[in-house]
Parts: sequence; C-alpha cells; structure tokens
Amino acid sequence: MTLLEFASGPGLQWALWIFVFGVVWRLIGALFLLARKDLSKPRRHNSVAAGLGAIWSRSTPAHAFEKRILFQHVTGYAWHFALFISVLFFAPHILFFESVLGFGWPHLPNTIVMVTAIIATAVLITLLIRRATHPVQRFISNADDYISIVVVLIPLVTGILAFAHVGGRYETLLALHLLSVEVMLIWFPFGKLMHAIMTMPARYQAGTAFGRRGVKA
Amino acid sequence: MRKDQTLGEYLQSQGVSRRGFLKFCSATASLMALPPSAVAQVAEALATARRPSVIWLSFQECTGCTESLTRSHAPTVESLIFDAISLDYHHTLQAASGHGAEAAREAAMEENEGEYILVVDGSIPVGNKAYSTIAGISNYDMLVEAASKAFAIVAVGTCAAFGGIPHANPNPTGAVSVSDIVTGKPIINVSGCPPIPVVITGVLAHFLTFGTIPELDAQGRPAAFFGQNIHDRCYRRPFYERGQFAETFDDEGARKGWCLYKLGCKGPTTYNACATLKWNAGTSFPIQSGHGCIGCSEPNFWDKGSFYNPISAGMWGSRDALLGAAAAGAALGVGSAIAARARKKKAQAAEEA
Amino acid sequence: MSDLDAIPVSAEVTTGNVEPLLHEIRHALKRLAGGEDGTVIDLQRLPLAPGEEQRIEAVLGEGEVRAEINALGPTLVQETAYPGVWLITHRNAEESVIARFIEVTDMPELLKSQRADIESGINKLESELADSTKKN
Repeated sequence: MTLLEFASGPGLQWALWIFVFGVVWRLIGALFLLARKDLSKPRRHNSVAAGLGAIWSRSTPAHAFEKRILFQHVTGYAWHFALFISVLFFAPHILFFESVLGFGWPHLPNTIVMVTAIIATAVLITLLIRRATHPVQRFISNADDYISIVVVLIPLVTGILAFAHVGGRYETLLALHLLSVEVMLIWFPFGKLMHAIMTMPARYQAGTAFGRRGVKA
Repeated sequence: MRKDQTLGEYLQSQGVSRRGFLKFCSATASLMALPPSAVAQVAEALATARRPSVIWLSFQECTGCTESLTRSHAPTVESLIFDAISLDYHHTLQAASGHGAEAAREAAMEENEGEYILVVDGSIPVGNKAYSTIAGISNYDMLVEAASKAFAIVAVGTCAAFGGIPHANPNPTGAVSVSDIVTGKPIINVSGCPPIPVVITGVLAHFLTFGTIPELDAQGRPAAFFGQNIHDRCYRRPFYERGQFAETFDDEGARKGWCLYKLGCKGPTTYNACATLKWNAGTSFPIQSGHGCIGCSEPNFWDKGSFYNPISAGMWGSRDALLGAAAAGAALGVGSAIAARARKKKAQAAEEA
Repeated sequence: MSDLDAIPVSAEVTTGNVEPLLHEIRHALKRLAGGEDGTVIDLQRLPLAPGEEQRIEAVLGEGEVRAEINALGPTLVQETAYPGVWLITHRNAEESVIARFIEVTDMPELLKSQRADIESGINKLESELADSTKKN
C-alpha cells in the first residue's frame, strides 16, 4: 500500500470516525450542561435578542479596546475568511464534501483559491509568531493553542505545495496533505479547534444567561 | 541481418543511403525522447551497433501489449528496429510452435547467455504455479531460468511491471510482477494497459543504440517516458486552473472540452507519455477523446476505487459507518453527562450531611 | 468520419505552448544571425492541443524553398516565411508522419549530399564508366 493509498483510504476513514465520534461526544456533553433549570426570576424575557446581541457584540471590537485590539481583530477576520474560502470553495474539496454529504455547491477558480490560501497561510504564520513572541499572548497560551495552530497550518502548506506541484511528486504531496488533514481531524474535537463549532452557540448561551439576569453582554 | 554485421553495414547492404540513415536516427532519437542535438551521437552509436537477441515471454496476459506494439505508428522505423534486433522467441508472433519453439528459446538462451534482453508481458501466478504454464513449464520456473541468463529484463505492460489486472483484488491466482520474483538483474518497467507502442520500441532502441539501461524513475520506469505527470502535460490543464469542469459526459463543459477531473480523471497521479506522444499515429489520447485518464500505468490502478470517482473524493468509507461513530459519540456523551451529574449529586449530598 | 464530425465539439483550446515556441524560434534565429549554431525543436515532444500544430504551421507560413527527400519514405523540407526557419516532416513508406522538427539553420543538414553517399556515388560512377569502356 502506498502512502497515498493509505492516506485516501484507511487513514481517512479512521480520521473521519474519530472526528465525528469526538465532536458528537463533546456536543452532547455540552448540551447536557444546559439542561439545568434556572430557578431565579428572569429580569428580561426576550432571551433570543440577548443571545443574538451577544453574538454581535463579541464579534465586534469593544469600543474601549478598539485601538489596542485592532490588529488582532483584522488578522482574525482575514484568517478565518481566507481559510473559509480556501477550504469550502476549491473544486477538489467540494468533490470530497459532495461524496460525503451527498450534495455540492459552486466552486471558485483555482487562482482565487490559491490567493486566499496563501493569505491564510501568511496570516496564520504571523499570528503564530506573535503568539510565541508577544509577552501577554505567550503567557495566556498553552500547548493546545500551539498544537491547534500547527495542525491547521500544515494542511494549508501541503495543500499549496500539492496544488503548485512544488517540492515533490504530486501524489506524495497529496498524500502528505491528506495525512495532515487527518491529523487535524483527529485533534479537532479534543482541542481548541472545537471552537469552530462551539463559539457561536456559546456566545448565544452566554448572552441569554446574562440577559436573564439583566446584565449587558 | 547477419549476426556479425553492424547496423550501419546492414542498412548499407539494404541500399539505405546516409540520408535515410540520418532520418532513421532522427526518428529514433525522437522515439527515445532524446533532444534533437543527440542525433549525431545516436547515428554514431547505431552505425556500429550489433544486433541484440531478444526473448519475449508471455505469461498471464491478454496479448494487448503485443497488439499495441504491432499497431505501432511508425512501421518503417519499427521494422528497422525489429530487423536490427533478433527476436528469437515470441510465442504469439513466431511461426514455430510446440517443441521446435521451445528448442529455439533454449538455443537462443544458450548462445547469448548474459547478453540477451528478456521481454516479459503478463503477471506470474505464484498461488498455484499450474495456473499458467507453457509447454508444461510453469511461468515462474521459465522466468527464473530465463532471467538468470539475461542481460536485462523489460517488463512490458502493467501486469508484468506491477501485477496488473490478474493481481487485482482478490487476486485468485496469486499473481505477482516480474520484480517480485527476479532480483539481481536490471528490470525496466514499461507499464501501461497497454503501454504506448513507441515507448516499447523506444526502450528497445535505447538498448540497440547505447547497450545500456535507460535512466529509471522510482517505479523502475524509463524516466524519458514516465517522468511527466499526465495532468502537468495535459492540454486541458488551463481549464482545471480556471475551474471549468465537465460535470457529465454530455454536458456543455464536455462539449467544450473542459477538464475531466470531476469525472474521475486520474491524470494528476499518473505518469506516462500519453499527453505528448498520444496514440494511433499521434491522433489522440483518452483525455483528448473526452474520457478521463484511468491511471493504467500506475501500480494497483484497478483497486483504487471507481474510474469515475474524482481523486479528491477519497475512499472514506460509508455514511453508515460515520453514523455509527456519531451514535457511539452520543452514547459516550450522554453516559459521561449522567455520570458527572451523579457524582455532583453525591458530592452535594455529602456536603449537606 | 462524417458521423463523428456531426458531433458539435468545439476545440478552442490552447495549452499556451504556441507563443513560447514562437519566442524560442525568435531567440534561435537571433543566435543564428549572430553566428552561433542552429537549433532543432522536436514537435512531438511538446504537449499541444488539437489544432495547435496547424496554428504553428499557419503562423510560420511557407517560404521560398520546398524540397522533398526520398529516403526511407518521403521527407518534406519546407522553408517557412521566416528565412532560416525550416519545417521538416519525416514520413515513412506508408506516408504516416514519424517525426517532425523545426530547424533553425542556414540549410538543413539533410539537404546536403552526404559524404558517404558521395563516396559510394563515385564508386558507382567509376564502375559505370569502366563498364561502358569495356563495351566500346
């Protein structure tokens, strides 16, 4: 069995199983936390508006900190947007999603995806360096942060190399790309990458909880 | 051509002029994928080349490789190359049969020991050697004996090079490739199902011209022909870059000749010369004719999922298995939540008490 | 064939290889004009889309010289509209193309009489003369 055969066969199967298993496990666990009844008298009744408000307010910089966190904010959005385009609108990726989900969607030309992938990689490397050098960021970072960044960075780099046919034979690069994605999928449910699924619901939940108590969130 | 004659002397005796000889050399250099500047070198080598003996053994095969070769698109050059080699045994092409044929093979092997080129097409069954025999001799035994006395071995076709279709899952005959059996001799894999005919003659021409083994890639294939990826050399590549794909075999994209990646083209992971040499006298090749590459020159091409599955779709298993993983995750999630709650209650009860 | 022609398949495909080839020819011509060696380009080694070879031919056009060599099948040597650029098409006895080259040179080597052929020609002429002297 060649590296590519392993990466596109059993490797992919196991990674997807672990990914689905882990994500569902953590989601169910988190949902059970909500099942506790709050016996206090609510101060505010429109909890949906409070939840949505929290999603909005936490997705925009707080006015008091605007200047200080602007860099973080812009790079954060640039990274996520570029990653989103690169992962979801590259034709070969869509073919994979289509084979798993049973439906596909329109793709973007490769050149555009190539540009977004390079932007995403550059921004992520910048953020990684900043995290490792900035005293405050360094202080609040743990191994999970670094592992989560690296397991996302490697698929990006190998993907670009495979696309450009640089640094090795295409099937080797493709196999490395798949293997690195598989490592990412396996890590995903158990580390901070889970934020991709948890962030918005968590903001909403925090918003409703604060709203109930009449706290501005 | 007499055995003691050089190729130059032979061609001269046939009334071929120097111009004709140079033309032959140009075509041969082109055939061997050498740069045109190498023609002088080829001419010099060919003029003094002596006729090598070739023994061609056919094992578990469909004769497609021989069919491909005999329909090769440059008959004059090919026939000159075939005049220039001594094809001493090929059981499909030779007139002799039975004991006479086998005697010819043995005589050629004795006479040219250590010097002949052994061409093999077809895989070799080792599950039970009796699955394929010639004159009562198993393919395995015949190969081992013939290989031990050969100068080099050319494994023609994906079956001989990598096991091919007989080797495909579940491989009922225990078929293996030449390189799985023969060690200690140079083996040149000319893969393809069938290989491009001029690639077969190109390799023979290389022996004839230089008497050496051509440069090989990691799979033991001549780099001159298998060094390039189909996708990299495909004239439809610009459509891939622009994201213009045929979605079905009869849609607008297919009519406009767009990229066949979505229809399962294996060009990006396949190494062969189809995109430049093409087939049928340079007429076309599968992608030009509207069908994706099936990757026939690669090992295990038959077992890599459907020919019509895009490469990037992967063999990720089934949705049922993913649902199973989700169910297991849910069960664990519920279980751990209940356990956590029970622990908490117990702790609370202990605190209250 | 007519059935196949009826299928509307458009072939407006380019590999992008024609322009670089023309530039390669331009550079080779400049080298030749500067007194350097000629250049030979093997057309069968280039990935070309259907119709691109014809496009190259059309761009190069036809020049003043057109010669046919009969050796192991016909070979057409055509000077293109750009002096110094020759298109050489080797065919076999069955008239199928076996090799195609663009040669950038003052005169393709193959057009010249070859030393070995001249020598065998001398022998032939001498034996003819000897024969006719005997007869007289």
